[in-house]
Formats: sequence, structure tokens, C-alpha cells
Amino acid sequence: MKKILLSFLLAVPILGYSQSYQVNLQGQKQTAMGGAGTGVALDEAAVFFNPGAVSFLKKNGVQAGGSAIFLKAAFRENGSNITEYTKEKLTVDPSVYAVFGNPNNRLRFGLGVYVPFGGAVHWDPNWTGKYTVTSLDLQAIYVQPTLSYKITDHIGIGAGFVYTNGKVDLKRGVPLTLNDGTSGTAQLKGHSNDFGWNAGIYVETVSGVTIGVTHRSQVTAQVKDGDAIFRVPQALQDGFPTKFNASLPLPATSSIGLGFYPSSKTIIAVDANWVHWSKYKVLAFDYNNNSRIPNTSSPRNYHDGGALRVGIQNMATERLALRLGAAYAFTPVGKGYVTPEVPDANRILLSAGLGYKASERFSIDLSFLYENVKSRNETNIETNLSGDFKTVAYIPGIALSYKW
Amino acid sequence: MNSKFIFKSILAVAVVTAASCKPELKTITPSKGSADFTRYIAVGNSLTSGFADGGLYLEGQQNAFPLMIGTQMQTVGGGTFSMPFFNANQADGSGYKKLSSFTATGDPVITDVPAQAVIGSANVPGFGTVPLFTKYAGDLNNYGVPGIRLNNITLTYYGNLNPYFERLLPNTSPANTTSYLSFVNAKPFTFFSMWLGNNDVLGYATGGAAVAADFPTDKALFTQLYNLAASTMIKGGAGGTGAKGVVATIPDVLSTPYFTTVTLKALLTAVQASAPTVQAIFIQPGTGAPRPATAEDYFLLPLKAANVIGKPNAAGLPYGLHPGNPVESKYVLDKAEAAVVADYTNSYNATIKSVAAANGLALVDANALLKVYGAGKVVNGAAVSAAYITGNLFSLDGIHLTPFGYAIVANEFIKSINSQYGSSIPTVDVTKYRGVKFP
Repeated sequence: MKKILLSFLLAVPILGYSQSYQVNLQGQKQTAMGGAGTGVALDEAAVFFNPGAVSFLKKNGVQAGGSAIFLKAAFRENGSNITEYTKEKLTVDPSVYAVFGNPNNRLRFGLGVYVPFGGAVHWDPNWTGKYTVTSLDLQAIYVQPTLSYKITDHIGIGAGFVYTNGKVDLKRGVPLTLNDGTSGTAQLKGHSNDFGWNAGIYVETVSGVTIGVTHRSQVTAQVKDGDAIFRVPQALQDGFPTKFNASLPLPATSSIGLGFYPSSKTIIAVDANWVHWSKYKVLAFDYNNNSRIPNTSSPRNYHDGGALRVGIQNMATERLALRLGAAYAFTPVGKGYVTPEVPDANRILLSAGLGYKASERFSIDLSFLYENVKSRNETNIETNLSGDFKTVAYIPGIALSYKW
Repeated sequence: MNSKFIFKSILAVAVVTAASCKPELKTITPSKGSADFTRYIAVGNSLTSGFADGGLYLEGQQNAFPLMIGTQMQTVGGGTFSMPFFNANQADGSGYKKLSSFTATGDPVITDVPAQAVIGSANVPGFGTVPLFTKYAGDLNNYGVPGIRLNNITLTYYGNLNPYFERLLPNTSPANTTSYLSFVNAKPFTFFSMWLGNNDVLGYATGGAAVAADFPTDKALFTQLYNLAASTMIKGGAGGTGAKGVVATIPDVLSTPYFTTVTLKALLTAVQASAPTVQAIFIQPGTGAPRPATAEDYFLLPLKAANVIGKPNAAGLPYGLHPGNPVESKYVLDKAEAAVVADYTNSYNATIKSVAAANGLALVDANALLKVYGAGKVVNGAAVSAAYITGNLFSLDGIHLTPFGYAIVANEFIKSINSQYGSSIPTVDVTKYRGVKFP
């Protein structure tokens, strides 16, 4: 069984966004509950979901988990009868959290390592949209040391400093024909190191309802002296750049969440997220040699996006938790701006999961998330690539945690 | 219940589901609409044959736009589309132009690939010597004949004069007696494309209006012949029961790189690099005395390759820089001649449009199409324009298209057919086709 599972995991490729290139898979419990978690103090992943709730966790613990993203996008050019699919490529989105400090004290500490932005889209190198993009690999790893403080027995605040390590690898075709009849290619590869923050408030109201409000800052990932690798006709090679600079906003997210506790065994979490995508105006590349090609500035003009999420957790037994969730995410990508690197649209998310407490200290959580991105017929205003996009994603995940 | 079993089952189901499901797009079923594509034939000139880079060769034939259309028609009941290919060991066909390198100053160096398919020549009485290509005798759907004018299609001796037509005919020059119009109608067909008329004005323009025999076909004769051609074609050929079809207007050649690459400004700039005092390029117009060129006169692409500007003649006068040694008429289409080209092009296109409407034929406004793309447009992320070599649209001869350009044309034909006959022939993926090959 394990071998079969493993072979599936390795064979099936994917890429995952939950909204444009934002990925919302930062905790297995929360993922199983539609991604809601701002208004509840569920586990160590509160370091990400609400630093203010960390001081309300009853135990210290460490957890490590990951989700495997099986994403497949389809495109059919208007007028054509051929549907092209992204290639199968497995991406894993990991997250690790630790919470420590004396649970009886007001001040607690947390550490989170997670990947809130990323994606991997791999089209066939000779597909219809090759001159727009053939592949994009993007990953921004956030490392967040966190302090959480209980101001009163019912109000907690927390904040974390975020260090971001990003990497991007973008490939596309260049519409110049080489001597062998194939077209040229360009690859842009680079790294970034940037900083941001994450803060939140968590309140237990007298009615028993819990409320969380958080804000994660924008991080502007700046790639300096990235490698621009142009494979173009020999006669033109000298005119092409070898280095590039670019910046990509990893937008701020504001969230408000509520927790309801209809019984001692049941938690209902409701979240609303507001993602400040409107900062993403252009995707610009500045090159070190412009004799053949100018710097590029592709309009993106995103507007803010949001998501509504609801999840429920029920303790079926002392040891077994069952979770379900649903969410609806509104795309930040306006008409005319959809690109095959991020074929985004409004999407429905359905999730389920299990938590099993193997012992007092050790537990395992599983989640499964299904994302259905609405089909969209689009003509990009910059590239004129015109056709139907449709994406679905299947995202199983697992986390192990140890408490003390 | 064993919870480990539950976990494993759920995970297994999840993984299997994930591995098996692809996103679905609404199914499309191509349909032929009210047309019948059982036997599609393409009638026309060099553009129809796949001519490119100044020649007809196998790769160009393989990227002929009617072949693209015929292949796409097969999804809606179309039959095999046979091309008169040069065989593989004569793939260079009539020979063609190739981009070999760039000079230090960035000018393209273009060389000639020699012909492989010429097997001899024939002497045609009263006309002269014409080359002979290896015959093609197989099935034929693409009847494109480079060089043919509309006013050639009824000439019974034309097969002796045009080697591209001669190679499709059973007899050898000078024994051919079948007119082009009779030849294409000798077998039944159900659908046709007809893109004729370009050469009725092209030779005049590309020759700088220097040869009297190249004068554009009389407008009334053009109308008469176009009506004859259309009314003949819609009968569906000998034994046919009628055919539907698509016709196309002729592009305005003045917006092709053949006429737009060598400009007055570019010539002056080049000359002034070594002779800053030069202020004018003198030309020999079609009528009248030599005069300084203006921005409304067109210099032709071959002037660049000829590399004659500034060369002194026997009297020591520099070529093009002195009224006593002007740029020859064959390298210039002056303002008055350009007006003739525009006038005849417009007249022919008015005829083509009205004949198409009168016969219920689909129409491709190739003139408008190539103007739009020539002015600069982005196609699936690729910049396309009429810029010589780098524009992706025109091949090295500056007049005929690249495979990428022919694919754009094929899609325009398909869209026009679909719109006229309610069919849904799928378009081709233009990005699968190349622009000019660079060294």
C-alpha cells in the first residue's frame, strides 16, 4: 500500500495556488476545514493563522506537515478543437511550526516556516501559449519567529517578524526562429531575500464565541541580478541580456475569523480573508543589455481578492477528529489579464480531513482539499492569447505533531 | 473501526482521484455546416503554392496555407489534400534565398540556395527559353502556380510559358494546350479557394514600373475574367454537382517589406555617415527628368543588395547622388507609379468583393488582414509586423509570407468559411509555424 501511494505521489504532478499564486495550505487541520483558522486556537499553526491565539494554546508542541498539490490546468484556443493540459509535476507545500514557553505564562513563543506563495505550472514547451510562458516555478518560503502575549485571560495579541526567501524560474519561447527551425527560448531565474511581519489579536467573548483578526504584511520579493538565459539565433546572441532585475509583490492579507463551539466536541470556524492583490500592477523585467529587446512591463492590474471559508471539527471519539470545510475564493485577476502562468478564476474549495491522536503526545492529521477553478474564456490584452482556461486541483496533506 | 485503515483508504481514494481527473472543457464537435469539403481544391498563384523566400521549395510547400486548411477540413469530413511536392532529393525546388549572416553594421547577408528540381529547359517559339522542373503526376488539390496572373487563366499556351504550371501538366513545353481554368476544372470538386489577381499588379510594382509589359491588367478585363472564374468554379468542375468556395482580396504590396525596408531616410543616413553634405537621393522617375526622391517614392528591396549607391559612373558621377546618375527606374516606384498600383489594387479588390457577394462565396479581405498584421500586432505572445526579417510575417523576398504568416492567413480563410457556411473547421495553431530562419 505504501509503495502504491508513493508511486502515485511521485507520478502525478501538480501545482497549486489558492488564489493567483497565493497558497493556502499552512496547517492540516485548517486545510481540512476550508482554510479557516483565524478565529480559533486549534494548534501550532496559529503561528501563521493568528499569532494572538498562540498564547491560548494549552500545550507546547511542534508539528511538521505538507500538502501534495496535484494541479492540472487546461487550455483550448478559441477556434481550435485541441485542448492542451499542463504537464504533471508534483509540488509539495511544507510547513513546520513550534510553540514553546510555559503554558501557564502570559508570554509564549512560536516559530513558523511555511510557504504562502508558490506555484508550478509546466506547459508543453511547444504549446500554443509558448511565447507567453512555458513554465513557472515560484516559491516563497517564510520564516517567522513569533511572540504572543495574553493581555487578559480573554485577549491575546501576537506578532512575528517574517524573513522571506523566494525563488523564481520562468521559461518561455522567444519568437525568433533558430537555424533548425525551432524557436528561441528564454529562462529567467533568480532569488530574493526580503522581510515582512505578521500580527494578530484573539479574543474570547463572554458569549463563548472567539474572534480573531490578523494582518500579514506585503513582502516585495526583489530579484537582483537574476540569470537571464536566452537561447536565440547565434547571430543575435550578443544583443541579448544575461542578467535581469524584477520584483514581485507577495501581497498583504487581512483576515477576520470567528469560532463557535456548539458542543464540547464541536468547533465551527468561519473566516473572511482580504488579499491586497491590487498592489500587483505590472510584472516588469529590467535587463542588463537592451540592444535586442527592451525592458518589459506586462500589465497585471490585479484588484483585491477575497475568500470566505467555513469549517467544522467534530471529535467523533476521544482520539478521532473529523473535519469538513468549504470555501469560495474571488479571483483578483480582471478580464483581459488572465495569463497561462496563473490561469486564475473564482474557485470553489471543498475539504475534509481526519485527526488521530495516537497517544497523549503524538498525533497525525490528514487533509484532502479539492479546488475547482471556474472555466474562463479570456483574451489577454497584452499577448492576445485567447481561449478557455479551466483548472482543478487535488491536494492531499499530512502532518505529524508532538506535544508536551 | 481501525482508524489506520480509514486513513489509508481515504488517502488512497484521494490520490487515485487526483491522478485520474483532468479538468474538462465543454466538448466541441466540429461541423461542416452547409458546405461539403469532400474534395477541396486551391486555385491561385505563388501565395497558394507555398512560395517563400524568393522560391518554391519543399519546406515552403509543406507550409502552404491551403494544406493547413485542407488538413483542418479533415475534422469535418474533408478528404485527403494532395500537394505537388518536390521530392525529397529535390527539396530545394526552384532554389530560394537564405539568411547567411549579418555584416558588422547589422545588415543581413542573403545568399541563394541553388535550384535542385530544374531538369532542363525548353525553347518556346515566340517566347524564349523556359526552365523545366521535374514533373508532378500524382493526385492534386493545390493548383497554386507561382507567377500566374488572372489574365493568364484562359490562355491555352500558358502551360508552356510558366514552368510551375508546366510541371503539373502531362505534356512538355511547348506541347501544352490546356488553359489553367480548364485544368483546375477537369475533375469534380466540392469546395474551392481562389486567391488570384495579385500578379496582375505585382510585377508592375516590384519591377519599379520599368517594363511596359508589366503594366497592370485592364480593370474591365479583370472584372470579366474574375466573373468567368467564379462562375466556372461554382459549377464544381467536370462531372461535379456544384461547389462552394472562398475567395480573397489582393494585398496592397506597397506595405510589404519589399517596398518599406529601403527608405529615403535610411539611404540618406547611410550616405551621410561618410558624406555629411549629401542632402538628396536622385531618382529616375517613370516619366520626366531625374529629381530628388521624396518620402512618397518607394525604393525597392533589391536596391540594398545591389549595393550601388555612391558608385561613380564613367563620368565620375556618384550613383543616386547626382542627377546625372540617378537611381534607376527599376529600383524605384515613384509617387505616380505607386498611385497606379494603389488604384488598380483598389479596383481589383472592389471587383473581388462584388463577385464574391454576387455568388454567395466566403470572402477573406487579405488586403485588410495583412495591413493590420503588417502594422504590428501580437499573436499569442509573438510580435508580428511587416518589418523585414524580424517581423515574423514576411519571408526573405519581402513579399511572400513566412510559415507563421501563412498560418495566420489559413486561419483567416477558415474563419471566413465558418462564418459563411455555418461550419466549425478548427483553426491551426500559428505558434507551431516559424518565422524567418536566423543563422
